[in-house]
Amino acid sequence: MTLLGGKIGETYKVQSLNLDIAVRRRLEALGLTEGTDITILNRNRGGAVIVMVRGSRLAVGKRIAEKILILAKNHKGEK
Amino acid sequence: MKKELQVGFVGNPNCGKTTLFNAYTGANLKVANWPGVTVEKKEGAFKYHDYIFKLVDLPGIYSLTSYTMEERLTREYIMDSKVDVIVNVVDASCLERNLYLTLQLIELGKPVVLALNMMDIVEERGMEIDLHRLPEMLGIPVIPVSARRKTGLDILMHTVAHHKDRKSDNNLEHHHVAKAGKQQAANSRGDSSNQPATRHRHEHHKEYTMVYSDSIEDKIDELSILLIKKYGKIDRLRWHAIKLMEMDPSVMAKYPLDLSKVVKHSYEGEITNQKYDFIEEIIEEVLVNKEKKAASTDRIDRILTNRYLGLPIFLGIMALVFFFTFKIGDWIKEYFQVLIDAFSSGVLYLLNSMNAGSFATSLIVDGIIAGVGTILTFLPNIFILFLALAFLEDSGYMARVAYVMDSIMGKLGLSGRAFIPMLLGFGCTVPAIMASRSLENMKDRRKTILITPFMSCSARLPIYVLFSQMFFGNNAVYVAYSMYLIGIAVAILVAFVMSDRSDNTIGNALLIELPEYKSPNARTIFIYVWEKVKEYLTKAGTTIFAASVVVWFILNFGPEGMVSDMSLSYGAVIGKAIAPVLKPAGLGMWQVVVALISGIAAKEVVVSSFSVLFQISNINSPQGMSSLAQVLAQYGFGALNAYALMVFCLLYIPCVATIGVIQREMRSAKWTLFTVLFQLGIAMLLATLVYQIGSLILRV
Repeated sequence: MTLLGGKIGETYKVQSLNLDIAVRRRLEALGLTEGTDITILNRNRGGAVIVMVRGSRLAVGKRIAEKILILAKNHKGEK
Repeated sequence: MKKELQVGFVGNPNCGKTTLFNAYTGANLKVANWPGVTVEKKEGAFKYHDYIFKLVDLPGIYSLTSYTMEERLTREYIMDSKVDVIVNVVDASCLERNLYLTLQLIELGKPVVLALNMMDIVEERGMEIDLHRLPEMLGIPVIPVSARRKTGLDILMHTVAHHKDRKSDNNLEHHHVAKAGKQQAANSRGDSSNQPATRHRHEHHKEYTMVYSDSIEDKIDELSILLIKKYGKIDRLRWHAIKLMEMDPSVMAKYPLDLSKVVKHSYEGEITNQKYDFIEEIIEEVLVNKEKKAASTDRIDRILTNRYLGLPIFLGIMALVFFFTFKIGDWIKEYFQVLIDAFSSGVLYLLNSMNAGSFATSLIVDGIIAGVGTILTFLPNIFILFLALAFLEDSGYMARVAYVMDSIMGKLGLSGRAFIPMLLGFGCTVPAIMASRSLENMKDRRKTILITPFMSCSARLPIYVLFSQMFFGNNAVYVAYSMYLIGIAVAILVAFVMSDRSDNTIGNALLIELPEYKSPNARTIFIYVWEKVKEYLTKAGTTIFAASVVVWFILNFGPEGMVSDMSLSYGAVIGKAIAPVLKPAGLGMWQVVVALISGIAAKEVVVSSFSVLFQISNINSPQGMSSLAQVLAQYGFGALNAYALMVFCLLYIPCVATIGVIQREMRSAKWTLFTVLFQLGIAMLLATLVYQIGSLILRV
């Protein structure tokens, strides 16, 4: 699923960033790398999300969020 | 003689870097800018013990790649200039992300000292940082400081002075294991095998903080040999080799090398991931109780960034800002006016007692004091406006606005990111236009530059203060507030019309860090506001002074020499020629035309020109306003005309400084001319609409 599909308050693992290199590098500099934990804190009506990665909060626009694939972190938690 | 020491301050945005910098240098800066968007660098100096410390505050950055302008600038500055020591300011409460830049800085090879800021927040949250282990693992000195409480400042500079000659640190002591090795080590725990997990471990770990996996270290070695073969012994060999592996365009251009045998693709992703792996190891070892969360920020965010409440709250906060600007500003203003009146009559008395000619007396009293003095009476309003804006910025709210606005902007095919330069436009258009440099795409930059002048800057405030209070009495605040809303609406609308929605580049999609909320720092705010007040006073003494003199001349001289009746002056001749064009907008008075033209020098001049035109020196006082309103009423200029005038002033040709910066940024006279004419056209259109529709309604 993409970052758009995640639930508010849940923590996921970033699976892949399907974005062009410049945006990827910006995300990585902000701590959003493949394999890192990501917690979804909020989402607005336009689809932008607020996430917590490596201890910092990021606002990520819809067009970036829809290209970030995430995995449920705890498979037991997924029914 | 004292030795000079160049110290560069580098750190993430919002890490308290500027607060720390200000704690050393006070308000003695060379260049100041909006906090958080320092595109230019600031410099300050002070003496301490045997050294003159020259501090340079570099733009806030997250990394040292060459993908953004700020990062490129910082990197080049560190590498090429005479910086002796880098102070890497780090937000201790957000260590994991901040250390990424730290590792890159260490790799650059200049002496680095880590200033661990915001330790108070770390303690508040019940976290602890192992201050012995951290410097061991990084191989650089780590000094806990608090920029707000001003602790650790002396020790930090002491360390800087001592550390200036260190190229690498010998105290490095960590057992960094590459990821593959870590897995192995974990599997074979208890195993007595003492085989090193990586081949490079013994050799490199004494020298370098960041050691990569075997395959990458092998390639670094190979590339280093190739570099030496072709270019001899170059500075920062390892760093250049790593950058070549990342296929960094600027390094590849500087040291062209046939990479095809060694580097088949960019290793940037792997190199980044391994840095973060190492950071995770550091965090695991040095951070205690890291699970504690910043509950207060989340609680505040639940309200301020709420999907339904976010926008009304933003509009409410802006309304509050203008309420304060008007009410408190007015309260202080009364005292100001008394001072300027006293000064004016004092000068008049002095000139009379010196038997100064009527020419000189008129120029000084009616021209300069009326013009410049008028502008000075608005200083309290300007002061409160900037105080409020600095408060919002320093508290961490401004970044949230970009997120809140993203949903509206998204519906119009725009990104919330473009809203950030627009927000800065509330202060001054010039730095706002410079901030558009952060947008990589030329098309988006043009669009942003075109719409930023529509955001109502502080220079337009005096016009609103004067005309709204003169004609709208108790509703003045709402009338002025409506100008800000019209400005935002026009900006967004123009951007919408211009946006190419088939274009799906995500380069400018929203991506911004939301810093934790904090109580704003009095010193940071004071320095920021002081800079703005100084700028305002400088402007009053230069641009507005000159404009007042020019306006006085064209109003007191005509084709027949010096005239006592202004309607025979050059000003009237010019004004009367243009007035018919502005008649549909309700602005067909020659005096208004003269005021508007003079306002291109600086928007405040519109107000000072009114004061010179109608010879009312205390224009910003209740008496001055009522006499101006009476005079204007004789010309049939009423509330509706005033509203049209405000709309026109909001939107028409930007000031000279703005035109200059547009030309500098776009480097195209054609585009600059288009921007200016476009804005004039929009102003004509809207002011005319307001006046015509308003007249219809009033007639009914």
